[in-house]
Amino acid sequence: MSTVLSARDLARYYEVSQGFMKPKATVKALNGVSFDLEAGRTLAVVGESGCGKSTLARQLTLVEAPSAGSLMLDGVDVTHGVQKDVKALRAKVQMVFQNPYASLNPRQKIGAQLGEPLLINTTLSAAEREEKVKAMMARVGLRPEHYYRYPHMFSGGQRQRIAIARAMMLNPKIVVADEPTSALDVSIQAQVLNLFMDLQDELRTAYVFISHNLAVVEHVADDVMVMYLGRAVEIGSKASIYSRPLHPYTRALLSATPSIHPEDRQIKIKIQGELPSPLNPPSGCTFHKRCPYAVDRCKAEVPELRPLEGQQVACHRAEEIAL
Amino acid sequence: MSLLDIHNLSVHFGSEKHPFAAVDGLDLTVNQGEIVGIVGESGSGKSVTMMAMMGLLEGQGRILADRLDFDGKNLLTISGRERRRIVGKDIAMIFQDPMTSLNPSYTVGYQIREVLALHQGLRGAALNRRALELMEMVEIPAAKSRLEAYPHQLSGGMSQRVVIAMAIACNPKLLIADEPTTALDVTIQAQIMELLVNLQQSQNMALIMITHDLAVVAEVAHRVAVMYAGQVVETGPVEALFRHPAHPYTEALLASIPEHSKGAERLSTLPGIVPGHYDRPRGCLLSPRCPYVQEVCRADRPALLQHGATAARCHFPLVAKEA
Repeated sequence: MSTVLSARDLARYYEVSQGFMKPKATVKALNGVSFDLEAGRTLAVVGESGCGKSTLARQLTLVEAPSAGSLMLDGVDVTHGVQKDVKALRAKVQMVFQNPYASLNPRQKIGAQLGEPLLINTTLSAAEREEKVKAMMARVGLRPEHYYRYPHMFSGGQRQRIAIARAMMLNPKIVVADEPTSALDVSIQAQVLNLFMDLQDELRTAYVFISHNLAVVEHVADDVMVMYLGRAVEIGSKASIYSRPLHPYTRALLSATPSIHPEDRQIKIKIQGELPSPLNPPSGCTFHKRCPYAVDRCKAEVPELRPLEGQQVACHRAEEIAL
Repeated sequence: MSLLDIHNLSVHFGSEKHPFAAVDGLDLTVNQGEIVGIVGESGSGKSVTMMAMMGLLEGQGRILADRLDFDGKNLLTISGRERRRIVGKDIAMIFQDPMTSLNPSYTVGYQIREVLALHQGLRGAALNRRALELMEMVEIPAAKSRLEAYPHQLSGGMSQRVVIAMAIACNPKLLIADEPTTALDVTIQAQIMELLVNLQQSQNMALIMITHDLAVVAEVAHRVAVMYAGQVVETGPVEALFRHPAHPYTEALLASIPEHSKGAERLSTLPGIVPGHYDRPRGCLLSPRCPYVQEVCRADRPALLQHGATAARCHFPLVAKEA
């Protein structure tokens, strides 16, 4: 197995204006995240809105440069590497966005949009490009006549297939998918998730799959990283996270997810309140204000991510509260 | 007698010559103190049904019905003045996006007081007291100071609580919640659902829950109606419908939820998409996508008939398989 993606203490800070003549404040949107991803595997990133999922996606796809930490993509050091190597990486990391209504150019035909990555990054002739585009279209379940159509002529599910085809055109090593199915209906969502998994089996692509839907994550992921306020609070294999969540936040998330089995309506682990403001995060463990198990130590000391029972968890009391 | 009794409701859009039925022959009854879930994919007519009932489609849609009674009053024939006395007081509605259903130019306190002053004629100290009481009922922390807050100062979950406070201000007999938690995170969704169910029980309201999320319905509803392309295709008690769906569409919808195929390699899917405005099939609406389709399905549209515990619109309802 080859590691295609490796992040160490990756961080991204933003400066925000507080108003005229006031000092700028810093938002630590991503505050030290480390993980590895191997070819052909899927890492799911879960968390509530504002926890830094999309900021992470922007660092991984080289849209922004991280403020601190290091990032290795396919053996190239992005943060300290040579510009030329980094530029070549852009073809190897692709992204699929949440809203297929906004991510396709309404004025360009599908064939042209799918051919554009090839036009920019390869020296193929027009005829060769068309052939490759049509082959990819067939692979994602689009018909050849769709080549000449505009995005408005497609349904949401078809548009997401087009977006996936565009991401796959250059045979990338890594695809970052940011909530790729949350704008779709359940029956269409199932079709798109299957397509993602079929493509992975064929092309050995590594996926970073960002989602807030734990049922979807359970279906596609190999490993799961749970994020809270810019930090990873728990990382582990899918099986262990779902059967034995160690962090109180992971447990609350799993318990809050509604189940389709009406017979086992169960009492939920309640977590109070909402995500605190990242401008002024709580001291110590950022989760302590909502955590039912919080003690004095949690208010003072920031828990580091540490290995426990084959998983990694950032909680002082993980052993005590484990069931 | 049912609180809400809808019989054979159709809503047509477009010209007289080429009408398009967004809702087609819908029957629905809701009793006092009952939670009814309406599920379906986008474009299935869930929201249009409720908007027709609330009188929010005037000038756009043509509403036809054999019976559209609320609390003994015929909503089809009452005057605008009478309707305005009922809507907002006896029937209240919560919309999907709390950020857009509040007026950004007024404080939330003003907006709650407006409802009370208009429908209950409260003035002065009594008005303020009741507004504060409502804010406390929906569990908003620091309710007194929040009355003076503008919507942009509140988070999504808080805004939705304010919207709920406005909806229950006049002790409605029927509360319609149109995708009340779709825009919210899963932990906040759990909080809001719990609040809605608690209020429903303490006020003995009827609650109609419109959603595309089957799991939300499975958790709270007593009865469910599944809609497809403007028709109710199956309706019945929650347990029966989820355990033994009689309609192939319900079966497919349940099967396409990731939670349903735990451990499976691929999700089961329903091929194709929901028929569009003008390409609805002549026979059963599901016939082009149905795995069990027969000749008669393509020719005749089935009626909604009782099959065991649920009523389904299918020529060949699925027999309950005892496990």
